[in-house]
Amino acid sequence: MASFIERMYLQLTLVLSISLGIIQAVDRSNFKTCEQSAFCSRQRALRPGQSSYRALLDTLELSDSRLTLQLLNNNNKVRLLLELYRLQGNITRVKINELKPIKPRYEVPDVLITDPPTEPMSVVAQDERGVVLSLGGVDRRLYVNAQPFRLDIMEGPKLVLSINSRGLLAFEQLRMRKDTDILEQEMEVDQPGMWEETFKSHVDSKPNGPSSISLDFSLPGVEHVYGIPEHADSLRLKNTDGGDPYRLYNLDVFQYELFNPMALYGAVPVLLSHNTHRTTGLFWLNAAETWVDISSGQVGLCGRTDGSGEVPQTDVRWISESGIIDVFIMLGPRPADVFSQYASLTGTQAFPPLSSLAYHQSRWNYNDQEDVAAVDRGFDEHDIPYDFIWLDIEHTDGKRYFTWDKNNFPQPKDMLQGLMDKRRKMVTIVDPHIKVDSSYKIHSEIRSRGYYVKNKDGGDYEGWCWPGNAGYPDFTNPEMRTWWASMFAYDQYEGSMENLYTWNDMNEPSVFNGPEVTMLKDALHGPWEHRDVHNLYGLYVQMATAEGQIRRSGGLERPFVLSRSFFAGSQRYGAVWTGDNSAEWGHLKMSIPMCLSLGLVGISFCGADVGGFFKTPGTELLVRWYQAGAYQPFFRAHAHLDTPRREPWLFGPDNTALIREAVRQRYALLPYWYLQFYQAHRTGQPVMRPLWVEYPEDVTTFTIDDGYLIGRDLLVHPVTDEGSRGVTVYLPGNGEVWYDVHTFQRHDGALHLHIPVTMSTIPVFQRGGSIICRKNRIRRSSSCMENDPFTLYVALDPQGNAEGELYVDDGHTFKHETDRQFIHRRLRFTSNTLSSRSAPPPGNTIPFPTASWVEKVVILGAQEPKAVTLTSSGGGESSVEFEFDPVTLVLTLRKPDVNAGVDWTLQLQ
Amino acid sequence: MHCPILIAVVIWSSCVDSQKIRGISLSYKRFYRERKSFLCIDGSKLIPFDQVNDDYCDCADGSDEPGTAACPDGRFYCTNLGYRPHYIPSSRVNDAICDCCDASDEYNSHTACQNTCRNLGQRERAEVKSQMRALDQGLRLKQQLIEEGVLTWRDKQAQLRDLQRVLDDLQTQLDDLRKEDARRKKEVDALRELEIGALETEENSHRSHIMNESPVSIFYELDSNRDGRLSAKEVRAKLTDIQDGERVLSEDEAVALLGGGHHVDLSRFEETLWNSIRIGHNVTIRGRVPGRLVKGEPVLKAAVSAAEKAAAELKKVEDAYETVYMEIRDLREKLATDYGPEREFLFLYNQCFQLKVHEYFYELCPFNQVTQTSASGAEVSLGKWGSWAGSPQHRYSQMKYENGEPCWQGPTRNTVVTLTCGTETALRSVKEPGKCQYVAEFQTPVACRPALRQQGVHSEL
Repeated sequence: MASFIERMYLQLTLVLSISLGIIQAVDRSNFKTCEQSAFCSRQRALRPGQSSYRALLDTLELSDSRLTLQLLNNNNKVRLLLELYRLQGNITRVKINELKPIKPRYEVPDVLITDPPTEPMSVVAQDERGVVLSLGGVDRRLYVNAQPFRLDIMEGPKLVLSINSRGLLAFEQLRMRKDTDILEQEMEVDQPGMWEETFKSHVDSKPNGPSSISLDFSLPGVEHVYGIPEHADSLRLKNTDGGDPYRLYNLDVFQYELFNPMALYGAVPVLLSHNTHRTTGLFWLNAAETWVDISSGQVGLCGRTDGSGEVPQTDVRWISESGIIDVFIMLGPRPADVFSQYASLTGTQAFPPLSSLAYHQSRWNYNDQEDVAAVDRGFDEHDIPYDFIWLDIEHTDGKRYFTWDKNNFPQPKDMLQGLMDKRRKMVTIVDPHIKVDSSYKIHSEIRSRGYYVKNKDGGDYEGWCWPGNAGYPDFTNPEMRTWWASMFAYDQYEGSMENLYTWNDMNEPSVFNGPEVTMLKDALHGPWEHRDVHNLYGLYVQMATAEGQIRRSGGLERPFVLSRSFFAGSQRYGAVWTGDNSAEWGHLKMSIPMCLSLGLVGISFCGADVGGFFKTPGTELLVRWYQAGAYQPFFRAHAHLDTPRREPWLFGPDNTALIREAVRQRYALLPYWYLQFYQAHRTGQPVMRPLWVEYPEDVTTFTIDDGYLIGRDLLVHPVTDEGSRGVTVYLPGNGEVWYDVHTFQRHDGALHLHIPVTMSTIPVFQRGGSIICRKNRIRRSSSCMENDPFTLYVALDPQGNAEGELYVDDGHTFKHETDRQFIHRRLRFTSNTLSSRSAPPPGNTIPFPTASWVEKVVILGAQEPKAVTLTSSGGGESSVEFEFDPVTLVLTLRKPDVNAGVDWTLQLQ
Repeated sequence: MHCPILIAVVIWSSCVDSQKIRGISLSYKRFYRERKSFLCIDGSKLIPFDQVNDDYCDCADGSDEPGTAACPDGRFYCTNLGYRPHYIPSSRVNDAICDCCDASDEYNSHTACQNTCRNLGQRERAEVKSQMRALDQGLRLKQQLIEEGVLTWRDKQAQLRDLQRVLDDLQTQLDDLRKEDARRKKEVDALRELEIGALETEENSHRSHIMNESPVSIFYELDSNRDGRLSAKEVRAKLTDIQDGERVLSEDEAVALLGGGHHVDLSRFEETLWNSIRIGHNVTIRGRVPGRLVKGEPVLKAAVSAAEKAAAELKKVEDAYETVYMEIRDLREKLATDYGPEREFLFLYNQCFQLKVHEYFYELCPFNQVTQTSASGAEVSLGKWGSWAGSPQHRYSQMKYENGEPCWQGPTRNTVVTLTCGTETALRSVKEPGKCQYVAEFQTPVACRPALRQQGVHSEL
């Protein structure tokens, strides 16, 4: 989708009938810098120094799970309440609020999956300078320094993290406006922008006055920090000294720029720090506009006697416009621990329907039913598989969501049935802006039920979006969400069927005539201002939509919902994509760090528009994008309304063949992708991983963001340069080996490998020591491949061992959870024996019947056996034919013909 | 190196054809005669015969699994008795989707496919029949249109020749008229030059029409009382306004003409009033017919008038020439357009065809332009005639109209018109599959080709 400026431009060009030229990139003046954002500017003016806060130790209260302590601001005597929690799984929670605010301050609901379970804390030592608390472990401690107030987390003699060590704790207490309170007690002077702020022509009335908060964190020994998406920037976060901080404020940015800390469509306030010893995470639970300053450098170590003097340190400062300080310090120490810790707070990736991991064909717009049928036919004629075809906003009756254009989509059920006959599916767009039109059912119901967001005067807030004048449902209201979910029922959403899924776009929310193309901050969601909840809006939209899909099936079917906007916890509701990118090589490259960053903070189901949304890709770029997209979690081609058609077969037979091959590689690997999502759903580990996640001690990996891992076992380094003749791939792991998945050539780890590439090359490597299951019979759609046999790729490590897993279920229901109906096998190759055993504890699962069997086993790095014997669960033995290639050392076992769900052993003699 | 094996197979095998091999056509049957072993059709591998269609891909060319989905690029033969046999990718075998109308592709799936070949065949034969009827009729109509086209073409050629003749005549006229015009102009120029020359050579700058009169004779003519001086009264009596012969000059005017005094003698006359009379801008002698006084002017006037007439005549003929020339150019252009090998598309010239699609109204004027008019009445050009754009074999199956109204952030609008065979000539559909890229279907008998009959017959099995 595009944004408001583009439309305005279109109108302007039409009205003036003159060509104003093409905008090449974002119009930065539409979006605030820190300087232009009053609270950011006020907060940033505060320089590091001694904190004005001190902890009042005599107020300390310690219950089993919670420590409270008052903090006093020496300057204005305002008291804050500090709460400290030790949470299960090596997490420390620090909450700071006003002790007695004149009205409640917003605390973010619905993001934490549960009230996080605590663990007992105890005071280890206390004197007039501070308190020392035990955080468990052998010697993990929290030091509370009274004056100035400061927190230090230590592990043994090592300082892991300090809070307020630079004295940047700042808490603007809620106050009465001075002109209404003549008996002024506090001597604080109002600063500009505290009670009203104007940006361009937009006035923010700020009836509650200043309310911003800030806190600093110091990470000694850390040079690499990651996360806080969404930004179009490198994986490793940059120093923001001298520039703008990274901004987190969900915005519809037209033609966004690369390598820029500007805010984009989504925000996840989670930052990861990593060095060779430890990975930690900071989760700043605040949904208001937020800015994050990052400052890395060398600091002198006072009191060090060894004379080394300097160590690297990274300082992070968070600034938010309202709410409270509520931060979760995830102490790792390994990357996997941080992911588990974060997952224990906000939940894991929703386990998507298997078909949603396949290929999606989209464009703004497929014009009518005939167009949909023709594109569907095109895929069959060119023998390219696809699972989903998408309809953008033009499919509706005048941008009224939940309706169909009467001329172009007169028989939606016929169309959906046609797709269902091919075992394919469709997605329609449902945006959260609702056309103000009394004859439109959705609008009149929302209005009559009072579900719209209100403006500051209490009337329904209205803004411009695709339909013209539109209202915005208040998705923060649980009643509203329930009602919204009910609109997806088959009898409510006319023309919908079970193979119709949903896309939530424009849910930042995008308001064409609003400040920074979004909603006025003084608009009201019940008692709260939009200011407080802004970054949550998109999450709630996706949450309610996913709920609607679950309900329409009576709770049986897994939903699939794509969202452009997101927040911490959005992973629980579906997929996201990187928004309105451009058909440029730089954007292709950027899709990797953008999705890696999202994966680090829990959102694994990420992709970028293949081909680029704006502009027209050259054929080479399009092919390379398909090749890269085939190895990213969410694989969808999409294009702007004004660009020429780009279905895969429109670029000559050679390019059609290249695209077909890339898509087929995706389909062959679907069992592996599905397994990764199952694991992500169970454990919170990202599907798409930076190399450092699996090789945390290898500093070479810390800045790599042009190659990555899918799970642990596949390393992908797509070609992202025009006219490329070769790529240099870093294969990590000292003493490990990697196999080229196409040639089976073996390469040693811990080195940079240059490989020549042609247009057909997609550099992908399988880790020695892994077993990957593929389905090599590529059919029209993933559903058609349901009962197909597996081929096992056993890549031996230098010791001749390998391990892997296989996961099978029905692919679309919750029965894997409710009835534990699934197959989860552990595959192990050791001592020349390949075996398949049940992975979960036996007896816990209901055997899931599958027709799938093992058709072939390909062992890489093998030796020639004399014979191969299969022992199946019944105890029967049979010999298996094989072929051995002494040049490539590939051993192929022919047709073991065992069911995928049973125990078996293949013995190589 | 495979030859010996092949021979060996042929010799050692007893040629039994007992079991039907699934997924092959009759013509491939010879590769699948049941023997001990099977040679992949590309000759790459020899496998035991029981590995044919055993749901495991042994041959790189997929030839060992014609009846299963085991090989990546294999193909499965639908026999489709009663309808058309055809190949499907073997990945469509047992995928729970009915592809072959004889249901032979779903022999091992839960989907119960019906054998629909008979119905399909009947329907197709009926369709083909009606298509053939339409084709025959179309071809007859086409022949008529070609014949009409021949006549039109002849007419146009004749018209062109006529126009050419007219143009030649006009050219001759033009040559004459140009000469005449030049001669006339020259005459006027000469006379003008003569006048200027006369004015310049004469010391007192007499105007040509009183060139032969002396100031003395005029003086005595005006001096009514013969007192050797001219009074204002005498001036008022004899002179008159050159514009209005009836008007009597005022005393002041007379005094002014006399240089401010009430009397002038001859020499003072020559300095004052004589100049006024000679120039003749304001006053002249009452009752004097200018012709009598002026000798040169009527000649010049006549010359100028003749020249103007000649010029007008020339202009008229030039305009006519221009008109005819343009007509010829248009006609030539029109005749230069490619109307097909038999000029069968010529009849479309100067015709337009309309179609309403929802709120839009489309108009195709072949060899001219395509336009779209919205409900609000705004007309947008979807392209001007560009060229035939069909494939090299069927160049005349598509027309391209280019350079219509430009699009925002994109190229100009264009339309590809596909011509289909039918008994009527009409615009059948207009669509915009990509922004500002239109495709139209235009049906006309002249798009009917006898070759379509072969295709139809071929499909009629």
